[in-house]
Amino acid sequence: MQFFGGSEISPSPPVPTASGNNAHMMYVFNRNGVCLLYKEWNRPLHTLNPQQDHKLMFGLLFSLKSLTAKMDPVNADKGNLGVPQLPGQGCSFHSFRTNTYKLSFMETPSGIKIILVTHPKTGDLREALKYIYSLYVEYVVKNPIYCPGSPIKSELFNTALDQYVRSIS
Amino acid sequence: MVREVAESCVDTMLMEMVAMYSGRFYANKPELAARRIEAIGYQVGHQLSERYTMERPRFSDHLEAIKFICKDFWSEVFKKQIDNLKTNHRGTFVLQDNKFRWLSRVSIDPSSSEKETEDPSTPGESKAAQAVSMYLYFPCGIIRGVLSNLGIPCAVSADISSLPTCSFVIRVKA
Repeated sequence: MQFFGGSEISPSPPVPTASGNNAHMMYVFNRNGVCLLYKEWNRPLHTLNPQQDHKLMFGLLFSLKSLTAKMDPVNADKGNLGVPQLPGQGCSFHSFRTNTYKLSFMETPSGIKIILVTHPKTGDLREALKYIYSLYVEYVVKNPIYCPGSPIKSELFNTALDQYVRSIS
Repeated sequence: MVREVAESCVDTMLMEMVAMYSGRFYANKPELAARRIEAIGYQVGHQLSERYTMERPRFSDHLEAIKFICKDFWSEVFKKQIDNLKTNHRGTFVLQDNKFRWLSRVSIDPSSSEKETEDPSTPGESKAAQAVSMYLYFPCGIIRGVLSNLGIPCAVSADISSLPTCSFVIRVKA
């Protein structure tokens, strides 16, 4: 099954529909809860210091994933706690929405979690998150200088990511 | 019979080769690691030149051999040609590749490069440059291997003052 396959940067990015600053912020965590990247475009309110914020976010997603799996009325296989699942297997939540924001989430089989917080009227961002993951593979994983498990400090990745996120509606 | 390998495998193997030699086998001895990696490149270049010059007649002079490297050889190995070739007609050639494939994803830490603008002699910036230069010994070795198999002994060095542009300087031994 081909999940992330293809040639240069693939899958090709979903068509941008609006310009400007629709994203609020983005987190990337690895399997161990290390925050590899935190990017902010539009966040007027900060309630916690960065460390607490990252820990809270990671903990929230961990709990949400196990809650959604346990409450699943359809699927019998509950999976193991904390183990990333193959795409399509088991039950995985992908977004939640409040009156002020929408949080979209994606976890890869390698345990990389990508969270994107946008304005509440955003559509389904699963394709967008897949594209961001392909950017991660191209510019971070394949960067010889990058040390896996450490925060991402790649200029190429930051530029490409910024450019792409600003084009999401 | 053509067998294909995913490019990611080649990329990752090259990364790991440099990491092993400079991190484990010759840790704290970067010159020895560099020499070893360059020697591996030499062998590879030697063998690749056999394969890619199979049906061609012998090269008439050094410039023809260098042009072969810039066009056919570079296209076979890196899927593009050298963008700029300079020579002083006295045995020195500069091959410039504006987007060297093996360095296309290398990206330095932007915060450390900001520190560099305040004080150009900070060791932080040269450490990044040193780390990147380890990845150039292999292609330099390849070029040296190709030329020596064509009968042109030389010394090859690389210059990365502006990424992703990369220049290879070939000095033919008289």
